[in-house]
Amino acid sequence: MRINPDEDQSFYTAGRYKSIMRENGGENMASQVTVFVENRPGRISKIARILGENGLNIRAITISDRGEYGLVNLITNDPDKAYKVLLKEGLSVSRQNVIAIIIEDRPGELADVTEYLNRSSINVANAYGFILQSQEKAVLILEVDDFEKAQQVIGGGGYHTLTKKELHNL
Amino acid sequence: MGFHHWQAVECVNTFDNKRDAMDDRYWDRELETIAPGGLERLQLERFNEVIQRARCSKFYKKRLPDRLKSLEQVKDIPLTTKQDLRANFPDGFLTVGLEDIIRLHSSSGTTGRATVIYHTRRDIDNWTELVARSMYMTGVRRGDVFQNMMGYGLFTGGLGLHYGSERLGALTIPASSGNSKRQIRLMKDFGTTVVHVTPSYALHLYSIFEEEGLNPREDLNLRIAFLGAEPYSNEIRKKIEELYGLDAFNSYGLSEMNGPGVAFECTEKEGMHLWEDSYFLEVIDPETGECLEDGREGEMVLTTLMREGMPIIRYRTGDIASVYTEPCACGRTHRRISRIKGRSDDMLIIKGVNIYPMQIEKVLMDMPEVGHNYLIELERVDYLDTIKVKVEVAQEIFHGKASELESLKRKVADHLKSEILITPRVILVEPNSLPKSEGKAIRVVDKRTMGADQS
Repeated sequence: MRINPDEDQSFYTAGRYKSIMRENGGENMASQVTVFVENRPGRISKIARILGENGLNIRAITISDRGEYGLVNLITNDPDKAYKVLLKEGLSVSRQNVIAIIIEDRPGELADVTEYLNRSSINVANAYGFILQSQEKAVLILEVDDFEKAQQVIGGGGYHTLTKKELHNL
Repeated sequence: MGFHHWQAVECVNTFDNKRDAMDDRYWDRELETIAPGGLERLQLERFNEVIQRARCSKFYKKRLPDRLKSLEQVKDIPLTTKQDLRANFPDGFLTVGLEDIIRLHSSSGTTGRATVIYHTRRDIDNWTELVARSMYMTGVRRGDVFQNMMGYGLFTGGLGLHYGSERLGALTIPASSGNSKRQIRLMKDFGTTVVHVTPSYALHLYSIFEEEGLNPREDLNLRIAFLGAEPYSNEIRKKIEELYGLDAFNSYGLSEMNGPGVAFECTEKEGMHLWEDSYFLEVIDPETGECLEDGREGEMVLTTLMREGMPIIRYRTGDIASVYTEPCACGRTHRRISRIKGRSDDMLIIKGVNIYPMQIEKVLMDMPEVGHNYLIELERVDYLDTIKVKVEVAQEIFHGKASELESLKRKVADHLKSEILITPRVILVEPNSLPKSEGKAIRVVDKRTMGADQS
């Protein structure tokens, strides 16, 4: 399936996306913030509290568990601010561009997207998503090895990737 | 079993078993029960001999008096430290040419911190005699089967006990460490009666017995265990005795003083007899260097009274203990020392290996990706000593990639292994979560339950 860019102008247009890419490079891409945490009680709530007190909204959170430590990946409405406030609290934080694709919230949709990526030899290092209830759509977050190539492939497939601003306005 | 053909050889017993005929209790009755006055005379004589010999070495040439008139004068001789041994590596303490040396034992250390002890043929012979005497004291006899489960190699615990056991006449199995299933098979096949083992390995091995559906108390012939090479409590000793149905003995030794056989428990199990015909014992206040009277706790200072190739005089062992004031019921006149209560320095003993926190610090400091803060934790997991090194993940090195962190862990573990010869478990922790390196930070947390002991 292809997303028709005209379907929902408030979210995306292919043209607008392309112009943003040209003008700002990766600066306006969606990004996730990753925090290094020890595997002990209270670490998630500490992070959530810091974000909450700074007026930041968490869109999605995943934790990759590595035994005695874990990596907490966060999609927030303002990744730059999230990065800064967490850093200020003395945590080890990193920021990384991710691909955020709008997909339909229906059975089989994720399979379609990932099969497409697979055919195009895009290697996905991490994937997670969240549902936009009001829109009957979902956002799929992808960490990929080759960000540039993935951008092209996904754009070429007619999928829309969210910019930082779009993610902020969700 | 596959060794029947050995018995086809005509059996001739050439063993001179004078001990069985005389007194079963002592290996060397005359020396072990020597009267205190006689022991002092012997010590003074031997101390003067060892001074003459030591003056042939570069290190001691100008440090020693000509002759002692009495043992009172020993305290005026300067102390020798581990640092002296390192600084004069490899031959500053040698009194003979290398052609007269038949063995060396060297400590770990790949970064120039090594020490070496050289032995002449007579040195090995004297050491072997002391180990045989020690083992005999605990009840080992010709006819026993001794399985030596300590690592063979540079570590003195393997070869030291091996030679002593052969001298005593026990059937000696050089099993070395590790390979639990094979250890158990050897015990069963050859009816092992005596083992030399680290306490943690003895406890670990018990769980393997359980897995195999064996009960060491019923399925084996064990009766004596020498526990050594790492600190352990009296409770652990009792537990091992209970689990295996045997008598376990403490011992004390250090490679600078040959290795095992410096001090050993007798069957009274009340303190370890330190063989004073071969070692001159003093206890000093580690701060002031002042000699302390018997009964007071302090750092043991030892002199090799018999060693030819590399005598060491007034050596600071770093081990804290006290001397018993009462004579022992066993009749031996050599004074007893307590369990080792701790160290006057920060040395750690893990799996028989001596490790200084500085060695770990040096490795970590040489890795720019590792923070300046670290913490060493010693734990006993499933009865085995483990060393954990906690390292902070600084913001500068964190790129959100688990694969990077995992390879950092491996790199830290590999670098440390090459320095301390033990693979530590590296634990990554959050920045600023460890005690700061300024001032007196606590860098070592020993969670093993104990009064210390070593061999």
